[in-house]
Amino acid sequence: MTTSLYNFIDAKDKFAASAVSALAGRTSKPLINAFNQITGNEAEKKTTLDQSLRGVLGDQIVEQKASCDEYLALIYISIEAVTEGICSATTPFLLLGDVLDCLPLDQCDKIFSFVEENVSTWKSSTFYSAGKNYLLRMCNDLLRRLSKSQNTVFCGRIQLFLARLFPLSEKSGLNLQSQFNLENITVFNKNEQESTLGQKHTEEKEDGMEVEEGEMGEEEVPATCSIPIDYNLYRKFWTLQDYFRNPLQCYEKFSWMTFLKYSDETLAVFKSFKLDDMQASKRKLEELRTSAGEHVYFAKFLTSEKLMDLQLSDSNFRRHILLQYLILFQYLKGQVKFKSSNCILNDDQTAWIEETTKLVHQLLKEIPPEGEKFSAMVEHILNTEENWNGWKNEGCPSFVKERVVDDKPKRPVRKRQAPEDFLGKGPDRKLFMGNDELTRLWNLHADNMEACKSDDREFMPSLDEFFAEAIEQADPTNMVEDEYKVVRNSNYGWRALRLLSRRSPHFFQPTNQKFKSLADYLDSMVSKLAKELPKDIPSEEIKTGEEDDDDNGDNLLKESNDSPSMQSKMVSNQQMDDVAAKLGAKWKTLAGQLEMKASELREIETDSEDVDMQAKLLLVAWQDREGTQATVENLVSALNAASFTQIADNLSEA
Amino acid sequence: MGLIELLHMSVFSQSFSPCGKFLAAGNNYGEIALFSLSAALGPDANELSQKPILTFTAHEGPVFSLLSTDSHLLSAGNGEISAWSWAELIKKNVKAAWTRRPNYKSSLEIPEINAMALNPADNSLAVGGGDNNVHIMDLENGAFKSVLQGHTDYIHCLSVRERASEVLSGGEDGAVRIWDTRTSQCVHCVEVYKYETCARPQHGKWISCLTTDSDWMLCGGGPSLSLWHLRSMSPTSVFPLSGCQRQATFYQDMILTVGEGQCVSHCLMGGEVKAQIPCTPHSINTLAINTNSTEHRVLTVGGSSDHIDVFTNLSYKAFSLRF
Repeated sequence: MTTSLYNFIDAKDKFAASAVSALAGRTSKPLINAFNQITGNEAEKKTTLDQSLRGVLGDQIVEQKASCDEYLALIYISIEAVTEGICSATTPFLLLGDVLDCLPLDQCDKIFSFVEENVSTWKSSTFYSAGKNYLLRMCNDLLRRLSKSQNTVFCGRIQLFLARLFPLSEKSGLNLQSQFNLENITVFNKNEQESTLGQKHTEEKEDGMEVEEGEMGEEEVPATCSIPIDYNLYRKFWTLQDYFRNPLQCYEKFSWMTFLKYSDETLAVFKSFKLDDMQASKRKLEELRTSAGEHVYFAKFLTSEKLMDLQLSDSNFRRHILLQYLILFQYLKGQVKFKSSNCILNDDQTAWIEETTKLVHQLLKEIPPEGEKFSAMVEHILNTEENWNGWKNEGCPSFVKERVVDDKPKRPVRKRQAPEDFLGKGPDRKLFMGNDELTRLWNLHADNMEACKSDDREFMPSLDEFFAEAIEQADPTNMVEDEYKVVRNSNYGWRALRLLSRRSPHFFQPTNQKFKSLADYLDSMVSKLAKELPKDIPSEEIKTGEEDDDDNGDNLLKESNDSPSMQSKMVSNQQMDDVAAKLGAKWKTLAGQLEMKASELREIETDSEDVDMQAKLLLVAWQDREGTQATVENLVSALNAASFTQIADNLSEA
Repeated sequence: MGLIELLHMSVFSQSFSPCGKFLAAGNNYGEIALFSLSAALGPDANELSQKPILTFTAHEGPVFSLLSTDSHLLSAGNGEISAWSWAELIKKNVKAAWTRRPNYKSSLEIPEINAMALNPADNSLAVGGGDNNVHIMDLENGAFKSVLQGHTDYIHCLSVRERASEVLSGGEDGAVRIWDTRTSQCVHCVEVYKYETCARPQHGKWISCLTTDSDWMLCGGGPSLSLWHLRSMSPTSVFPLSGCQRQATFYQDMILTVGEGQCVSHCLMGGEVKAQIPCTPHSINTLAINTNSTEHRVLTVGGSSDHIDVFTNLSYKAFSLRF
């Protein structure tokens, strides 16, 4: 098939017609239909459509019959067309640009609203890359046409739109090199010649024309201002604005000195001239709000001398100036990549800046209304600025966080071993305390607990050690007089008591003896101990208190000879049989020793005729009565007491 | 004037010229200095314009009081009153128009004159000083018309209550006496230190500052500065100022007062101290407001320093005139 030559004009006309009908019907269908009908390749058709759309718009504008809505409708159709893929992506932007270029400002407002509303469309992938430069150029053109003081809101809207359109790191929107607007010059009357006050108006007056400048009439006497003016302060105050305009001046020595001097004076005035609290200003604020409807008119500084007093008494004005100071200080102190290397503050300057920053903040806090809040807010904002500054210094990295690719397998983290000599884990297991003496002390023994339990910490003497002297004295053969006996010594006596309580079971023996004095009591104790001591006392620490409380202390002595296992053994039946057999008729004697009651004896006698059996019954009764105390040792001691030593020995041997 | 003398100088009195362009100040050396306000306040003011255009010795002792009439400057020093023509002074012609002396009882010691007040109703001058009496002098013929006796100690301050043609005097004895000029009798005697709200026994009882606004009277000194209602003769507000006040004046709806303490205090009629504006002298003796001129309407204060502070805006010190 031969490719026929693409007829551009024809296609364009066809597209134009369909565009008009699309516009009339507010739908892009005719365009789509036309697109499909015309033969030709995509690219050609697209460019043709672009041209035709532009042509249609141009016609409409030229005719001046259409309203903004018409233009907007056309542009909207073109957006649809792009989405359908029949039109190139730049066309809507070109159309917008054309419209805005050709319309007066008040109508641009409406077009711009349309632009604002469709931010999401512009940001979508199809449109963004194609259109962002066009949009930027379009907005800049608009901004250039607008006056910042007359159309502040519109300018603001355009700026905001740009901010929303572009990502944060878009460099074209940044003041990358931190340059200053050096053209922002504050004009004031620097010397007396320029002051229009107090001077006769020398210009020729035309007939009939009222010269109204400077309130000069036809008077001969120069009109003078009606209030005294502090020219000194006036000049110094406004000179400061030059330093705020161009902070780099501060790095030069001479300029810095001037700045210092003037600032000190100005801040001194602020300090001494405290602002009135609220009464007047509150009313003024309310009036402002109601009349201006939340619009605050900020005129660039009005620098007439006559206004100086009024300005000084205004809180907002003061806040402006003080804020300028803070911004300036932040710049001077801050690290900015684009500052040249000789822009460094010396120590004096830094110190002065610190001091003055504090003063400025204090002054801000004193300015009603809500000075404290304002000061805190300002501090916070300036801190945030530091972050932005840092961001710019790094070359404005993007804020989009990249997804972290997790491909490295996690290595098992090796637990670091404690260093060798740490806490006694080293080879020689020595603790290093950092100080020789301490190290020595700590390393006397590896384990504190063991060290406390070790034998050489036993300081309590044994009974024989302590009482040796007393026992010797108690021996009548030595013939030691009573008053010289060591037991009379109260100190000795006290210690003896303590030792007895820890070591001797005699201490806990209830006794009917009444002792008149400690010495007497100790005498008896000593005598008891004397009997024991030649024999070995098996255990040094006798458990106190619950030791079997037999009536007879002598029993204890005998019992202590027995092996411990025997002591608490219960009498078995077998043993009882043996004993009974051996006892025979003599069981009554034992009964006395076993402290059986007479009634019980009679009972036993009546129970059985057999003496063996009676003996057995006796023992059984004894066992019942004693319960757990029916131990072998008790029986043995009873047997011994009843002179049945043989039987006792037999029993104990068993 | 050597540096030492400047260091020890105290300014005791001030007065503005009738045209309002000049300020006369009297110091403890007996000198009067004339300053040009128009030069000092002009746009091309420099160091020199803050110096006096004329300095002359007026009296042997300190010039405690200065007063301006329509044409003359009256100065009071050691027991005598001199009059200087303003016109002549501006032309730097230093010659006293007249000098008079009140009749003092004893001729041994000459009492100083501490205060003068002008009574425009009958063109008379009330003069009070160290002899515990107020002398009334007729300015037309220069004769001393009457003597108001009653104070038991020297007189610090005088004030004239025009509407009622009364003279008020405050003295070291702590009494404020109100005299009728026609009868020369003491109409009232208020002993301020006897009122508990005002009394400050730690400072004393003397009254060093007195001013009146026909219905109201301000007085202070040893006792706290207090505002009195003259009709009821009772204190309505007491001002919580720590030092002893030496001069006070009513200005618009405020009260400006100076005294011990390195500041000018702005107070409200209700008794609160609105502001205290710092100034150069450590202890201030005199405060004056130039009501004779609108463009030079400044407040000037002088005290124990050779600097006289000028306030164009009441709330901060603009600059200082120097002797």
